Amino acid sequence: MHALTAFSMPALRWGGDPSGGAPYVYADPANPQSYTGFDYEFAEALAREMKMKAEFVPTDWESIVASLQRKEFDVIIDGFEPTEDRAREVLFSKPYYLFRLQLSVKRTDKLISTLEECKKHGRTVGTLVNCAASRLLDEGGYKSKGYQDPVAAYQDLELGRVDAVLMDVAGEMFYARQNPKLKAVGKPFKSGAYIVGIRKEDSLLLAKVNAAIERLINNGTVERIFRKWQLWDEEQLKLRSQQQPVFEMTNTKLNWSEGLIKLFKAASVTVLLAFGAMMIAVTLGLPLAFGQSNGGPFTRVACTVYIEFFRGTPVLVQLLFLYFGLPVIGITLPGWLTAIVGLGLNYAAYESQIYRTAFKAVPDRQWQVAYSLGMRPFLAFRRIIFPQAFRIALPPMTNDFVALFKDTSTAFAIAVWELATAYRELANATQSYLGIGLVVCCYYLAMSLPLAHYAHKLEQRLQRKSTGILSSGADK
Amino acid sequence: MIRITGLCKNMQNTTLLRNVNLELESGKILGIIGPSGNGKTTLLLSLCGLLPFDQGEITVGNKSISARESGINSEALWEFRKKSGIVFQHLHLFPHLTVLGNIIEAPMQVNHKTKTEAEQEATQLLEKLGITQHRNKYPEELSGGEQQRVAILRALAMNPEVLLLDEPTSALDPMRSGDVRNLLRQFAHSGHTVVIVSHSVRFLKGIADYLAFMGKSELIEMNTTEKLMNYPDDPRTKEFLLYSELN
Repeated sequence: MHALTAFSMPALRWGGDPSGGAPYVYADPANPQSYTGFDYEFAEALAREMKMKAEFVPTDWESIVASLQRKEFDVIIDGFEPTEDRAREVLFSKPYYLFRLQLSVKRTDKLISTLEECKKHGRTVGTLVNCAASRLLDEGGYKSKGYQDPVAAYQDLELGRVDAVLMDVAGEMFYARQNPKLKAVGKPFKSGAYIVGIRKEDSLLLAKVNAAIERLINNGTVERIFRKWQLWDEEQLKLRSQQQPVFEMTNTKLNWSEGLIKLFKAASVTVLLAFGAMMIAVTLGLPLAFGQSNGGPFTRVACTVYIEFFRGTPVLVQLLFLYFGLPVIGITLPGWLTAIVGLGLNYAAYESQIYRTAFKAVPDRQWQVAYSLGMRPFLAFRRIIFPQAFRIALPPMTNDFVALFKDTSTAFAIAVWELATAYRELANATQSYLGIGLVVCCYYLAMSLPLAHYAHKLEQRLQRKSTGILSSGADK
Repeated sequence: MIRITGLCKNMQNTTLLRNVNLELESGKILGIIGPSGNGKTTLLLSLCGLLPFDQGEITVGNKSISARESGINSEALWEFRKKSGIVFQHLHLFPHLTVLGNIIEAPMQVNHKTKTEAEQEATQLLEKLGITQHRNKYPEELSGGEQQRVAILRALAMNPEVLLLDEPTSALDPMRSGDVRNLLRQFAHSGHTVVIVSHSVRFLKGIADYLAFMGKSELIEMNTTEKLMNYPDDPRTKEFLLYSELN
């Protein structure tokens, strides 16, 4: 009977980001098939209170509002804070938790104990993208770096890729408090509230959610949940007394001229990534191609393993591996360098295959003619074989370069601030996916079209040289 | 001067050359005839150091190469290769270089001649064959006959002691033209050696001082053109000559 009721109950579909989402909502390490976290427990309690069945929809934090609009779920429960820009798109429920922010630094850091000191000493502060802390940093003009999840932020703090991390106390407690290499400095400050986000048109749902939250606060359920997660403090008593809690709305209206400059800066990072990676790919592809076709048995196998590894696994995974995996063996590269090296290593595998087919396409007799004229292998290669192979390899290489341009967007995963990241950041902050999206596309086209154009010109010029315009006779 | 002694070459249980012996003094043109697939091109490639052989020794001018040396890239082999130039059946001009570029590439890169020097020499060669007007064209823009001349000049520009030509009559307007013949004769008479592999007896009759007949991976006989054409010793040579005359 009970099972039947549960089955027939309407679902409360709620969205949250479980990746690096502890202690809000995350995959339960003891039971990875299911989720846990205070927001998870709160959502369960809320649904129960509303006589509904909670249904968790895992989503991406950065685009969580857009996903709500697309009706992938009906409410946002994910440490979601009310801000002025969000208020244009989303209805806010009553708060169910009042949070504060905590600054963390390396345990060895004697210099920094406040945000102001970060600014004074030109330190970079890491934080989550699209949250109260990131807005605070942006507005205050602090040097900051946005992360997709807190794990990456605190790990980079440990590795010295950033100098401090500002995070909600909840995240700080879970990810940094136990870490012996880090310490919290100063008192938690700047309070805000976690609320439930609901679509503008769902005012009926809002009323039901508000009523349920009020009951959960008054009957002690909220207190029980947050006590369990050791996040309950005196501050929370305000939840009972106030109908409308105090929260500071932060304003992020898009200033278009500043936005364009910001995107332009991001685009130059993209250009840097693409050119840097292509240099590595073009250079490293050559020994790989040679090793695979002309090396000894060991070299052959080694090159083939390299090529198949990089072609057979996603570049995104490779970047994450380099960024988070290499520090384990003591190699810590900054994000942009990791992206250049990672993309370069990846594309080298593809370039090697282009070279290999291009060299194969040059007849063996060309080598023999060169040898018979007294040229030695390297000279023959440089003057006779390479120029011919280059003409064959150029069109597919151009293709790859354009593809690489677009693949630089994977660098967002390792917190590199390039064009795609800037797009997500700006668009999320302003909810102007369409307008900013068009601008970003224009930037990409402005970079890739001239490239394609010049490559085509070069191709034509070489083509004219090698085959002649007036191809007459000479049938062999 | 060319001397080949006891040359043997096998490849995967197939005998390509069996005990080939040959001697040719400077200033002469040798034609090698015989049915295709009997080792003529193999012999030519070995002669210019492009194909390793299993036994025997080859001497070109003052440079010799043994079977062992023929297989490893060594100083001796590089030096040996410089002694002869080869013109392949399909020419294999460098498609990315102009006519002039094809001719001056090796003199500049290998012999470190200056561009002016190399171009001067190349122009002289081009004038001899009357293709100076094509000097800035790319190979694909030339006719088969013109391409062949460029290939010959490319080899001659390195001033080799021996010039080897593989099936030159397969080019479209082949060696019929007098100036190419004259060039080859002039080259031979200035103390060099020319070896031409061809299945066309008629063509060789008009240019070669000596003829050698190859059949079944062996050099069956070699004599002056006059004697071999009119009084062949071996029945296989007779048969081949008879057959090619019928054609």
